Amino acid sequence: MNDTQTSSDKQSSVPATRRRISSPAASLISRAEPALWLTGGSMVLCMVMIISLLSFVFYNGTKTFWPVPIVEATLHDGTVHMGEVTRRGTFIPPASRLDEMPESFRKVVEDNDGEASRKLIRTGNFRVSGEHFNWVADFEVAEGGLKEPEWAVLLERLTWGRFYGTPLKFQIGEEVVADTPEATWEQFKSHHGEVRERRERRRKLEKKGLGKLNHAMEKRRLAIRQTELEFGKDSDEYRKVVEDNRQPLDTLSQKYDALVKEIQALDQENARFVMTMQTASGQDVDIHVSEIVRAYPANRLNAGNKVGIYISRWIEYLTSEPREANSEGGVWPAIFGTVLMTLIMALLVSPIGVLAALYLREYAKPGPIVTVVRIAINNLAGVPSIVFGVFGLGFFCYIMGGTIDEIFFSEKLPSPTFGTGGILWAALTLALLTLPVVIVATEEALAAVPNSMREGSYACGASKWQTIKRIVIPRAMPGVMTGMILSMARGAGEVAPLMLVGAVKLAPELPFDSYAPFLHLERSFMHLGFHIYDLGFQSQNSEAAKPMVYTTTFLLILIIFLLNLTGVGIRAKLKKRFKGSAV
Amino acid sequence: MNLNKIKILTMVSSLAAVVSYGQVQVDPNLPDYKPTQGVSGSLKSIGSDTMNNMMTLWAEGFLAMYPNVQIEIEGKGSSTAPPALIAGTSQFGPMSREMKSKEIDEFEKVNGYKPTPLATSIDMLAVYVHKDNPIAGMSLPQVDAIFSKNRKGGFASDITTWGDLGLEGEFAKAPISLYGRNAASGTYGYFKKVAMFKGDFKSSVKEQPGSSSVVQGVASDKFGIGYSGIGYKTADVNAVPLGAREGGKIISATPENAYTGEYPLARMLFMYVNHKPNSELDPLRREFIKYVFSKQGQEDVVKDGYFPVPAAVAREALKSVNIEPGF
Repeated sequence: MNDTQTSSDKQSSVPATRRRISSPAASLISRAEPALWLTGGSMVLCMVMIISLLSFVFYNGTKTFWPVPIVEATLHDGTVHMGEVTRRGTFIPPASRLDEMPESFRKVVEDNDGEASRKLIRTGNFRVSGEHFNWVADFEVAEGGLKEPEWAVLLERLTWGRFYGTPLKFQIGEEVVADTPEATWEQFKSHHGEVRERRERRRKLEKKGLGKLNHAMEKRRLAIRQTELEFGKDSDEYRKVVEDNRQPLDTLSQKYDALVKEIQALDQENARFVMTMQTASGQDVDIHVSEIVRAYPANRLNAGNKVGIYISRWIEYLTSEPREANSEGGVWPAIFGTVLMTLIMALLVSPIGVLAALYLREYAKPGPIVTVVRIAINNLAGVPSIVFGVFGLGFFCYIMGGTIDEIFFSEKLPSPTFGTGGILWAALTLALLTLPVVIVATEEALAAVPNSMREGSYACGASKWQTIKRIVIPRAMPGVMTGMILSMARGAGEVAPLMLVGAVKLAPELPFDSYAPFLHLERSFMHLGFHIYDLGFQSQNSEAAKPMVYTTTFLLILIIFLLNLTGVGIRAKLKKRFKGSAV
Repeated sequence: MNLNKIKILTMVSSLAAVVSYGQVQVDPNLPDYKPTQGVSGSLKSIGSDTMNNMMTLWAEGFLAMYPNVQIEIEGKGSSTAPPALIAGTSQFGPMSREMKSKEIDEFEKVNGYKPTPLATSIDMLAVYVHKDNPIAGMSLPQVDAIFSKNRKGGFASDITTWGDLGLEGEFAKAPISLYGRNAASGTYGYFKKVAMFKGDFKSSVKEQPGSSSVVQGVASDKFGIGYSGIGYKTADVNAVPLGAREGGKIISATPENAYTGEYPLARMLFMYVNHKPNSELDPLRREFIKYVFSKQGQEDVVKDGYFPVPAAVAREALKSVNIEPGF
């Protein structure tokens, strides 16, 4: 109802505003009634809050992947830190440290009310130094000790995180093919592509080839186990199954060995390429080229290179799996999990919600019972989401899932199949959570269909159901869509109940793959919202995870925005079809 | 269990020579992990938050060798491990403390035998302060007097400001702001037992949902203090050197002090499994455990900021679940 009123208000006010545009200042003064200022002010306040939040997330989320220069800071005591400056700050150095510093700096600090500045340098090289980040106070840096070395190179690796250093030499097998930074870098550039290709081929062999073989073997082993459970180890049936499976299992294992050989050959070929890097403190470290995901000499980049690196980092982020306990790599499984879970939820919640609303509005006689039901539904919307999570865990996972396991998956017990958190249970829990949104929105939409239309339909001899199907639902469809959009937005952004019913830190296996039955509803999944929580509060290297928190938040907002946009698009289409209808 | 720990730590002390300063080495006697065939299926680990990242690193390393194994990891606190193991919803229960006898009893009631603990790595529980905090060290009774309301450690008076610990300047008057973990956490339990002598926490402790949030809390609060595993240390906080007794030697949180057992808050990180004595483990769990106690698995421990176990401990662990160590 409210919806119709505001929209008609808007329509009437639009031409009015346009007319006044000729003298905006005068009209503003003449119309400066308190109510206008109050309402307008509230709107401005809302916009300011929303825009500042969004732009904060946007700014921090998009700058994460931009390559920044590498600095080298040599301190008075001879230690050298090389890396990217991530943050700056001021602090009041204790008196004992003031004495150490040179006269010139002491003066600067004293002039500055005792405050000195410092910067946080991301030094990487955790394996060598045991630190990811180091604070460097400006007064600690030796005279002229702050440089941007030309050949400082950043390596992003598959394991052990970032490495900052200078290329020293490049080896293929035993042969040293380059021993100056420039030549080494050229060699790296020319060989990295083929090495990476081999790594990808190896990964594919593992994933597709070995994976399939392991899957087939496991299936046969489970069949044997099932027979053992049913008939016992001494039965003829058991012996027969074992005998039947021996030949295929042998063939599988031969194929497996062949594949392993192929993989080993690729590994051996890749292991020949080694780049030696020198850290800022002068240690030489050999790094296999196959370990390197991305490398660039940060201080030699032009704008084009920077954009290239920026884009390639985004692509990696969006399409690859997480590495190093989620602190690096991509979030593809989380994107997939979030979208799939939201869609399953929408599929579950819309029919139930719409049908319930239809009954409430079209069939049920208004009275105390209907009122109580309505109040109950509205109250459901106020139940804290974590309560739904607990309910989902107890009812869906343990009771329903446990029963399903006992009946259908007894051979896998005690490992649960459905009896633990999974994407189906998560979607069901969120469906419950968003049910009131759909019911209330649908009811509003149904109420907005004028009674005259229903009466017209009855007058033509249509039955109640025919009227609902042909007249009421089509007209109410845009409103129903609004409910679905709201429920999807609510569901995709919800995290607390998901932590209990299936969202996990690591589940790189998507709930959708090439093995029958393709959609694996029992699997746990990764969720962007949970990923944000995990990065923000659980990550070991929390300083490095912080920018990723913003980026992931930005991505989640973007995905919800896209889901909503699709919904709004469909709604606009429906509205156009029933132009002139009540809604 | 405590006896066990002492045994382990003494075994370890012989290894201390291998550890070079500031850099941890994996015992060279540990074997390289070599993948075998026919490993497939799904694993689930539910338990400690301290070990959450380590479990993930192990899972990632394991998955690199068995790409179609499904591993799911949940880490909301050590107390969530025993119920999940008992209900069979998880295969591994990582715990940053030992199981309590009540939890073991419940497990035994259902299964008829006790759960098997595997000592996977060594952690030091560090007491963190803001990086600008000049404090040089504390004794455990002092830590107790900061965090506890009943001071079972025997310190004479309550400590509420940094001045009480002898700091000067802006710290002298500043009240100490306390950060801690929630009660489901094994870190909470261990800290309460060892650092607070089983006393009770003050109600002013701000309980955080994860180890990392404790560190971040202290990092953003100049007068804050909190406790977490050493693996979560960042450049924004300092780990305070600790002494076991008032007036005793102050030991800093470095790897060698963890191995010698001198650091008062060194502890083992366990992984519990449901293993029927003398039976064979299924291939999936067997291979995962072998991976954990291989060179790669223990390198992951170092990567996460904790300390690897020596080969002797790994051998014991493998034997306890009926796996032939072979090294």
